[in-house]
Amino acid sequence: MSNTVKVQPDLNFIKELQAVGGDSLKKCYQCATCSVVCPLSPADNPYPRKEMVWAQWGLKDRLVNDIDIWLCHNCGACSDLCPRGAKPGDLLAALRNMAYRSLAPLPIIGKWMSSSSGLIPLAAIPALLYGIIWFIMGSRLGSFLPKFELVDHAWVPVKEGGQIAFGGLFPGDYTIDPVFMIVFAFMIWAFYSGVRNMLKAFDGQPKTFIVGRKKEPSMIAALINTVQYEILQHTQFLDCNEEDADELDIKRATGHRWLMFAFIMLMVVTGIVAGTHWGGWFLTFMGIEGLGSIVSAIGHTPMPLYHPVKLLAIVGAGLGVYGLIALTKRRVNLDEAKQSSSWYDWYLITLIWAIFLTGIGALIFRILGAAVLAYPIYYVHLISVFMMLAYLPWSKLGHLVYRTVALSYAKKIGRIPMGSDK
Amino acid sequence: MSNNSILVVGGGFAGITAALEAAEVGYEVYIVETNPYLGGRVAQLNQYFPKLCPPSCGLEIQFQRIKNTPNVKVITMAEVTSVSGSAGNYDVKITQRPRYVNEKCTSCGDCEKACTTKVESEFDFGIGTRKVAYKTHPFMFPMRYVIDADNASESELAAIKDACTYDAVNLDDAPKTIDLAVGAIVVSTGWKPYDVSNLTNLGGGTLKNVVTNMQFERLAAPSGPTNGKILRPSDSAEPKKIAFVQCAGSRDQNHLNYCSYICCMASLKHVRYIRERSDANVTVYYIDLRTPGRYDKFKAITESDEKLSLVKGKVADIVEDANGNPIVTVENALTGIKTEEKFDMVVLATGMEPSAAGHQVLACSTDTDGFVIDGEGIIAAGCAKQPLDVMKSAQSGTAAAMKAIQTVVGR
Repeated sequence: MSNTVKVQPDLNFIKELQAVGGDSLKKCYQCATCSVVCPLSPADNPYPRKEMVWAQWGLKDRLVNDIDIWLCHNCGACSDLCPRGAKPGDLLAALRNMAYRSLAPLPIIGKWMSSSSGLIPLAAIPALLYGIIWFIMGSRLGSFLPKFELVDHAWVPVKEGGQIAFGGLFPGDYTIDPVFMIVFAFMIWAFYSGVRNMLKAFDGQPKTFIVGRKKEPSMIAALINTVQYEILQHTQFLDCNEEDADELDIKRATGHRWLMFAFIMLMVVTGIVAGTHWGGWFLTFMGIEGLGSIVSAIGHTPMPLYHPVKLLAIVGAGLGVYGLIALTKRRVNLDEAKQSSSWYDWYLITLIWAIFLTGIGALIFRILGAAVLAYPIYYVHLISVFMMLAYLPWSKLGHLVYRTVALSYAKKIGRIPMGSDK
Repeated sequence: MSNNSILVVGGGFAGITAALEAAEVGYEVYIVETNPYLGGRVAQLNQYFPKLCPPSCGLEIQFQRIKNTPNVKVITMAEVTSVSGSAGNYDVKITQRPRYVNEKCTSCGDCEKACTTKVESEFDFGIGTRKVAYKTHPFMFPMRYVIDADNASESELAAIKDACTYDAVNLDDAPKTIDLAVGAIVVSTGWKPYDVSNLTNLGGGTLKNVVTNMQFERLAAPSGPTNGKILRPSDSAEPKKIAFVQCAGSRDQNHLNYCSYICCMASLKHVRYIRERSDANVTVYYIDLRTPGRYDKFKAITESDEKLSLVKGKVADIVEDANGNPIVTVENALTGIKTEEKFDMVVLATGMEPSAAGHQVLACSTDTDGFVIDGEGIIAAGCAKQPLDVMKSAQSGTAAAMKAIQTVVGR
């Protein structure tokens, strides 16, 4: 009995956790109902009971390095059946929010992203950038809501008639593509650093020796496996439902999956547009002009509505809205006494709504020729896309990288099996 | 007009005690009881704390006192239907259901032999049956048969009447209304086992070999459906491996948001019942084992049983296999291992819900859980007030009698 462990509670950490959504964690009396009703929790050291006691004791080291918070897909079964209303599901969500805040570098962004008061500086950056561009271009073109005619592959402003061209007011080559390439590179850099921090933390945790386990899979093999099952098929997410889950909960996983496919489709669209544009430019630059102009023509914007790439974009937008409706409907109908939504949840869902609605709105009002609506909506669209991409590693959407890495790591060390099993 | 009589609503251990304490110092007391017998939940137990006496033991003494105290008037199979007035001056209306058997009954049992229809026994919580002319248990008080006319055919009723040689069967019996004027009311309406159909993750009452702790009392009671043999309901086999699920509904804001006080001790007592009868393995799954006061000694002695394991962890899922064996899932909170374990039989330590819960209680208020709150001339006693064991119920009955007397004294 000599190996007594002296618990060193970190009281500030407990307060921090309570602030980011774990406010009811002190109600837990360790009955372990949560670990049993969780449809995903493994048999050995199941979550979330142990996380509840760690949180009560303020064991920061254990919690911030805990891989299990990423295995949870937050169906809420634990919180529904919790006899104390301690909301273990909310605690794990709060721990993930803490990870979004602290894993990536530049803590100021993490701080801004953690509460609604940070929204102003975050939105101000793209709003000012594109506001200035709009002002300068509008002054040069002689109108802040200009109309154009296409003359020899270039937008020429006209006083009478003409059409709306976002590329005329915000020339892609100078004001869109370079900005978003920098934003993209910034995001990749932040994720790289965040993932490195995450893996370092996981590596520092004690390892479990699993009897009879075959050779450990490589991280790459685990990653491919995660993409194949958890991401493309949503295996864990679809299993993440209590036995008597209601329709809204079941639709959560399918809604999320459609939204994800919508993003993939829109990513493909963006890739084709940018790839053919710059690819065509590159080919022409290299002297292969014939092929260059063909490639450029494929992705030339604005596309007619029957263009396959445009159709893909429209289908993607439709799927995205369908998914968003399912996710929003459930979130709005959550029983506050059982499961609450944090700023991270509302920020992301609102931002994605903004992206989809302004994207669709910009298309519609452009075709209708309503410049007074089309340009401002497009401007908001640029701001929201910028916000999604630039701050992605600090937002809840960061899970697309962090959860993927954590699930792959969990497969590598044997915390969860390879394949579709739980 | 002021009145110094006292009405006791509910004739369980607390109610009987309150009535006797007041009557024996000279007050007129009425006991109104909804069942055909007095003794309440205690009558249904095999043994009760603190000394593990059979219920007939303590109740016999109380019944003897009632017989010797003409001031106590017992009205069984009756409900209070209205209360008006204020402290010291209540008008109470009581409706009594027909028993169809008068005081000439000698409990010879000839009527019971004459009937064929069997229905589920309320007294045995559905695990046994009774005839339509029945005596709930051997030490029933008042010792008089009851005829369940609703479930009997005309011809069967006629046969019952013919069988009686004492002219005790009165098929013309009808509901009666009784008006009482009293000065104080003791509410000792007691408790009911929490409805397991709400515990959907624990089978919701649909799993054959998952019984409640009160059903288990009936299985262990010599007067019960198995004559005191502990047999599992599906195939009447003797269980070799039994689990107890503590806090089945208690300490749970989705069900009973309080500790029912008695269930931990009841399960430890049930472990003793099992050990007296077999060498079955027993596991008790608990959140915290609560052994108030001197009961801790009882736990210490029971715990030394080598075939008993006490596991910290609440059972949150029960299913059954093809042979009707219940499978429980639980995380042992000390080892952090989640397991599924198969048992022959599972006992749910269901909690105490006040009988008043879900009913509109006349002339007094209840808290959010349904427990009765004392008013000026209305005093709660026993488990109507809070979850208690038998001993403390009796004490609260005495206390309620004192308060009732204070209300009516000098009127």
